[in-house]
Amino acid sequence: MSQIITLDQLKKTLAEKQAQGVDIIAPVLRGELAFFQHVDDLEKAALTPRVRFQNSIKEFFFPRHETIFSFVRQGSDVQLTDAPEFERQQIVVGARPCDAASLPILDPLFAWDYQDRFFQQRRANTTVVSFACKETDGHCFCTAVGGAPDGTAGADAILFELGDGSFEVRCLTDKGKALFAGKTSESDKTGAACEPPKIDFEIKPIADWIRNNFSSPVWEEVSLRCVGCGACAFVCPTCHCFDIVDEGSYSKGKRVKNWDSCQTALFTLHASGHNPRGTQGKRQRQRMMHKFVIYPDKFDFNLCTGCGACSRSCGVMFGVRPCLEALAQAASSSEN
Amino acid sequence: MENIYKPDPMEVVEVRQQTADVKLVRIKFRDPEKNANFKFNIGQFGLYSVFGVGESTFNICCSNSKDYIEFCFRKTGRVTERLWDVEPGDTIGFRGPFGNSYPMDAWEGKNLVFVAGGIAMPPIRCAIQYALENREKYGKITIVYGARTVGDLVCKDELDEWAQAPNVVVLKTVDVAPPEGTPWNGRVDFVPTVLKDAGITGENTVALVVGPPIMIKLSLPILVDAGLKDEDIFTSLENRMKCGLGKCGRCNCGSVYVCKEGPVFTQADIKKMPDDF
Ligand SMILES: Cc1cc2nc3c(=O)[nH]c(=O)nc-3n(C[C@H](O)[C@H](O)[C@H](O)COP(=O)(O)OP(=O)(O)OC[C@H]3O[C@@H](n4cnc5c(N)ncnc54)[C@H](O)[C@@H]3O)c2cc1C
Ligand code: FES
Repeated sequence: MSQIITLDQLKKTLAEKQAQGVDIIAPVLRGELAFFQHVDDLEKAALTPRVRFQNSIKEFFFPRHETIFSFVRQGSDVQLTDAPEFERQQIVVGARPCDAASLPILDPLFAWDYQDRFFQQRRANTTVVSFACKETDGHCFCTAVGGAPDGTAGADAILFELGDGSFEVRCLTDKGKALFAGKTSESDKTGAACEPPKIDFEIKPIADWIRNNFSSPVWEEVSLRCVGCGACAFVCPTCHCFDIVDEGSYSKGKRVKNWDSCQTALFTLHASGHNPRGTQGKRQRQRMMHKFVIYPDKFDFNLCTGCGACSRSCGVMFGVRPCLEALAQAASSSEN
Repeated sequence: MENIYKPDPMEVVEVRQQTADVKLVRIKFRDPEKNANFKFNIGQFGLYSVFGVGESTFNICCSNSKDYIEFCFRKTGRVTERLWDVEPGDTIGFRGPFGNSYPMDAWEGKNLVFVAGGIAMPPIRCAIQYALENREKYGKITIVYGARTVGDLVCKDELDEWAQAPNVVVLKTVDVAPPEGTPWNGRVDFVPTVLKDAGITGENTVALVVGPPIMIKLSLPILVDAGLKDEDIFTSLENRMKCGLGKCGRCNCGSVYVCKEGPVFTQADIKKMPDDF
């Protein structure tokens, strides 16, 4: 027996939570483009699985711009006011499995000795409901990094669209169970995700190649077309590099964390003018190393869920999958 | 929950100008209890803020026996330009201490060689101060310090004081001879040349080398020829940092996060790291 919920009942369930003060984050269409955003009116939520989103759910755990504290100068003293703790509850609904999968990947980073309450409080206060995929495109490669169209990592519940205006609900955690308790009905229908994307490369040999070919000319060659705009990092659910800057004036202002990208030259520029990563090739190497060598070394996860958002939004048709494919070629030709 | 990115307000106690663009600043926690309880290890660094301008990374450049923190900075960018203007009584921010430290305990009983160039004096000064405060624990101390010109030497007065301590040799040098008539009791040579003449022997000796890449590159073979092993040659890296906490993803060399696993590395560690400096 499975548990099912109709689309109407799903919206009602979310609306009830909203009435209790819970923030609802769901896909909303603007023209043909889908965005994850806070929704006031659940009728505006586009609750169906889709491949392409303009943003990832990352920003609801790790906002693109976030105040750390504010300050006021009083004579020679400075008064600091801590940013408020995150006490709201939120539900993210309609996440792709590859989006939800980023959350357990990021957990250890924000808890590595120093506890980042900004991420952790949002994570603790959020219930994630993902939708199993109904289709994949040529950018998807979740299967290469251990994911699947019905992957459950990071989700509290996963919903399978049944095509008759209802979803099969599979609760995965206590949070998921709490959300759907008493809201579903029993059925003998079960949902299924689409076929997994077909991938003709494996991560392991590429990661080995990356580890052993730090100085290879391949890095500059594959990066020739990259313009270093950093869009790949901003749409990526796992990219988490950030900058810390002050805003306001000398007498009154705040310090903020902003998303940053290792693809820009300023990222590692020393005050002396020296830059350890002065070329696009070196910066691309850092990006791929971080995802497939450094992060696995440190936290046992690839820093990538194979969602394909980077190449989908890349202006020059680059991104992680095209880069992996190019490196796979380099790896196989260096074997021969 | 604690906010790991929020600095503590610090009172500027003293500012001593060192060169045309270097100042040494002494600070204390505004909160007396914090000041009394603050502990750090020699070689650690902190993040210092000018509120409204930003944060910069500097070594804590004094020994840890004091009830204050000192740092020494070169005016070079946005934050340091503004830091240049701070006066005693002003408030700046501090986060730290961060990173690993020099193994001062493991160095006990050994001869210490300190090699520094230019503004790289601060990361070495803390170790020298500590070693001199615990003079009986260490063997011979050799300090080789050079800068471009006499005017670029940091901690000039202290160099002469250190030279007075028992069994300490201070060799100072400048790249460019001072103008005729300028008092100068040091040499005119590059740091590696002076190091070579210092007659270091590898026996029971560790070295700490910090400075511009070219100085480090040319000094290493001299220490190796003298018999020091890669494990006995230490340095302190200065990758650009933002968080200091292993989160912002900026400071790594391969899988090594300099802010957490560094900034202190031996030459043996460095040889294992990719060339991402
Ligand atoms: C562990 C460690 C220890 C250190 N210890 C010391 C020490 O003891 N003493 C010391 O003097 N230094 C030390 N440094 C170096 C010091 O951190 C830098 O010199 C300092 O942060 C420069 O800060 P700044 O804000 O003034 O420069 P920034 O304003 O950050 O400028 C640095 C350079 O980056 C570029 N840049 C930055 N932002 C922009 C932008 N928005 N647009 C264009 N260009 C930009 C510019 O070329 C600029 O010159 C240490 C560094 C590390 C990592
Ligand atoms: S300075 Fe942020 S990770 Fe090291």
